[in-house]
Amino acid sequence: MTSSAYLKISQLVKRFGAVTAVDHVNLEIEPGEFLVLLGPSGCGKTTLLRCIAGLEHPDKGAISIGDTTVFSSDRGISLPPAKRRVDMVFQSYALWPHMNTYENIAFGLKLRKLPKREIKERVTQVLEDLGMAGLEQRFPFELSGGQQQRVALARLLANRPPVFLMDEPLSNLDARLRLDMRSELKRLHHDSGATTVYVTHDQTEALTMASRVVVMDTGVVQQIAPPEELYRSPANLFVAEFIGSPRVNLFRATPFSDETGKWLSTGDFKLPVSRLPEAEEIIAAIRPENISLHREPVPGGVEFRIYAVLPAGPEVFVHVVRGETTFVVRMPPGPELQMDQTVWVTVDERSVNYYDVETGDLVRRT
Amino acid sequence: MLPRYPIGRWGNELKRRLRSPEFIISLVLLVVLSYLILVPLFNLAWRTFSWGPGDARISSDAVPGEFTTAHWERLLMGRVANKMVWQPLAHTMVTGTIAALLALFLGGILAWFVVRSDLPGRKWMRTLLTLPYLVPAFAIAMAWETMFKSPLVGGRPGFFQVLFGVPPPTWLSYGPIPIIIAMTIHFYPFAFILVAAALSSVDSQLEESAELQGASRWTIIRRITFPMVLPAFLSALVLIFGRTIGGFAIPYFLGGPVRYWTLSTMLFRNFSLGLDVNGYVLAILLIALASLIVYFNTRVLGGSTRKFEIIGGKGFKSNLAPLGRWRWPIFGAITAFTIAVAIFPIGLLLYQSLMLIDGQYGLNNLTLHYWIGRSDPSIAFGLPGLFRNSQVLGGAWNSIRFAVTASAISAFLGLIIGYIVVRRGKSWLSKLLNQISFFPYLFPGIAFGAMYLSMFAVRRGPIPALYGTFTLIVLVAVVKRLPYTTRTGTSAITQINQELEEAAQLQGSSWLHRFRRIVIPLATSGIVSGMMVTFVGLMRVLAPIILLITPSTRVLMTVAYRFAEDDITQLSNALILLVTFITIIGEVLIWRLGRGKLSRMREGAP
Repeated sequence: MTSSAYLKISQLVKRFGAVTAVDHVNLEIEPGEFLVLLGPSGCGKTTLLRCIAGLEHPDKGAISIGDTTVFSSDRGISLPPAKRRVDMVFQSYALWPHMNTYENIAFGLKLRKLPKREIKERVTQVLEDLGMAGLEQRFPFELSGGQQQRVALARLLANRPPVFLMDEPLSNLDARLRLDMRSELKRLHHDSGATTVYVTHDQTEALTMASRVVVMDTGVVQQIAPPEELYRSPANLFVAEFIGSPRVNLFRATPFSDETGKWLSTGDFKLPVSRLPEAEEIIAAIRPENISLHREPVPGGVEFRIYAVLPAGPEVFVHVVRGETTFVVRMPPGPELQMDQTVWVTVDERSVNYYDVETGDLVRRT
Repeated sequence: MLPRYPIGRWGNELKRRLRSPEFIISLVLLVVLSYLILVPLFNLAWRTFSWGPGDARISSDAVPGEFTTAHWERLLMGRVANKMVWQPLAHTMVTGTIAALLALFLGGILAWFVVRSDLPGRKWMRTLLTLPYLVPAFAIAMAWETMFKSPLVGGRPGFFQVLFGVPPPTWLSYGPIPIIIAMTIHFYPFAFILVAAALSSVDSQLEESAELQGASRWTIIRRITFPMVLPAFLSALVLIFGRTIGGFAIPYFLGGPVRYWTLSTMLFRNFSLGLDVNGYVLAILLIALASLIVYFNTRVLGGSTRKFEIIGGKGFKSNLAPLGRWRWPIFGAITAFTIAVAIFPIGLLLYQSLMLIDGQYGLNNLTLHYWIGRSDPSIAFGLPGLFRNSQVLGGAWNSIRFAVTASAISAFLGLIIGYIVVRRGKSWLSKLLNQISFFPYLFPGIAFGAMYLSMFAVRRGPIPALYGTFTLIVLVAVVKRLPYTTRTGTSAITQINQELEEAAQLQGSSWLHRFRRIVIPLATSGIVSGMMVTFVGLMRVLAPIILLITPSTRVLMTVAYRFAEDDITQLSNALILLVTFITIIGEVLIWRLGRGKLSRMREGAP
């Protein structure tokens, strides 16, 4: 079996009692990739990361890093964390509170018995790279949240592991700092070229930083795709609903055609479409930005009533209702819209995705 | 062909387990704790169900080593049953229950005034009211005796007689009344601390919304505040009762002279008379009683505590109840009470220790002889003063050696058990360890001593007879304190984020390295304060070791006990003052340490 993958996970299973936290996961991560594990809390993403690090002992499957098999249940291999040549940034940063910045970063280097001079050089270098020169003697409690985060990062960089593991490293920062750190981390990854596995529950973080995103739920991989594809064509309803804010608009519809054209029909309305999915009934998914509102009747437009208007600076979210159906629309700020006003809705039908009613899987276009 | 891997897999799994240092340590601890806690308990039980070597004089059927229920039959149903078991049991229940109720009543009311009313100087009051807790029960007993000693029972006149010209009635000198009052004084601060903590954490918004509904101050206390602190009340009641039954000094000194025995003093008396088996039976009864109380507290009360989880929420700055014109009178009453129960007894003991001839209250009778005097054959059998007395000096050295060693070992053991409990919480091994380390809590002090006496008086396998050795009393203290140090250790480890260890693990740090470089430094402040608490407790401990002490291993408390037994009261009072003084210094140190740099560093942890 030939594969260029640097980090390879096959059929990995990890159970905690009756709960299967990681359920037969397969992943192949290319060298230099920035892979993000995304999912709601409890989906198994952190457990998967910890299995890679060697902090959890999986029940089944195999993990290899580079040419080395670091875990294999069949062959009875389980390398201890230190022998896997990975390092991790923890959610809590895990800075040792009784050691200053220098000691924190040098801890692992000393254990590896590097010469004193090299340790000093490396620590000074990473601190300088991260704009932290001069803070060597500070203890963690004397540093701000952002500085602590950088020290945690510096500790990882000084170790120069070929694989970076990051467990929600930005979740403890305030919103503004988080934005700055995102670009910094992305730059850092670009410069170091290290294979990175990054865990987050924040979809924006995932979409902005990843070269590929793995969406997980209940221990099962739902979809592996680059960010654009993930957003454009989610593989199933879970991913469709999980990605995107505000949430995607879903409605159950029956496709039919008559002499007036092709339609998607619900109890409340019917929408004209150019092509029909081949099914009795489907679930249609439309992103809020793919719906347009018109103040005057337009051809193919469906009459809705405005339920609420929520301006949010650069964009406006409008909730419109008709019967049992509510749509959320994302639009640029502009014309004044009033509550209870009547509007006409059209959709960009090329962007509509159809899902199987039974399985929830994406119905591929033919 | 059979698949090879299942065997290999199991083998690897087992190897991985066995190689894990936590697993090995847990196993070792399990063996050690079983030997120190479970085996002595079984041994104690077996002694009561078998004929001992000297039992031939009790019964002609006795075959040493054979099973028998004769001891239990004799003590529970025989001629002596009433005197040996039932009466002491009744006395234990009566004094314990009444003292616990009184202590709770007192502590509860005081807590309300200090926490919830606009009493002047509340902050100081809070500290002052807990002061009697630092005074050893022994000292309270001695102070009572000094005050109410009566020639009617034998002995010289007490301070009461000097004040009023007549001897106090006997029931005020000795027996259940003084025992109950002394226990109340000793234990009310405990109730005060528990209830005050519960009261402080009651969200005042709950009271304020009742006020908005038009409830009066008294209705609020009755209908809102009291029901919410009720679980704390009941729990305090049960805990105090549990502690009274193991008490030794108070019932011994205040009950013994009129032959008012409780289970613990009767147990001691049987050992003094060489009736060891009787003592063992009483020890088991005491342990059973204590277990029943703990069961009651966790099972019956535990449920009701959970219902009121509103307590322990964020404590709000509450509106204080105005006392109006009663403010200063109540302040005066509480101050007077504090002086009466905390300062006066100490002063009295000090005064008594300065009297050349006991009972002569006058300035010309004052002397420092009992503190610093040289040996004088005409005074106190020629015993020199405290600071020149070789028994006292030896005892002081032993006390310090004993308390330092035992508290250090116990704190360290507690830390390791805490580590296993926190980090491997789900495994059966850690659950078992947690349970076993709690066991000594169930053994009242004196019963614990009896247990160890039965276990280590003779050689057992590779373990030589430990009776009379320093090791034995250290061992008793270590194990007796284990429930507390395990709790301290557990909370110290809980505060160390596991990710701190995992980060080190990723850097290649071994378990031992991690424990030394990460866990111990971060747990230091918790461990040191736990150790200090144990140290202070051990300096004044008497009941668990009194059966095990020999002249070469005597500590300050047992020397004081000896002096009191020999009726050299000035010396025993001086000595007990010294112990009280050391205890208070230790408590102050703990208090200072608690706000020191170490704890700040730990709080800095993310």
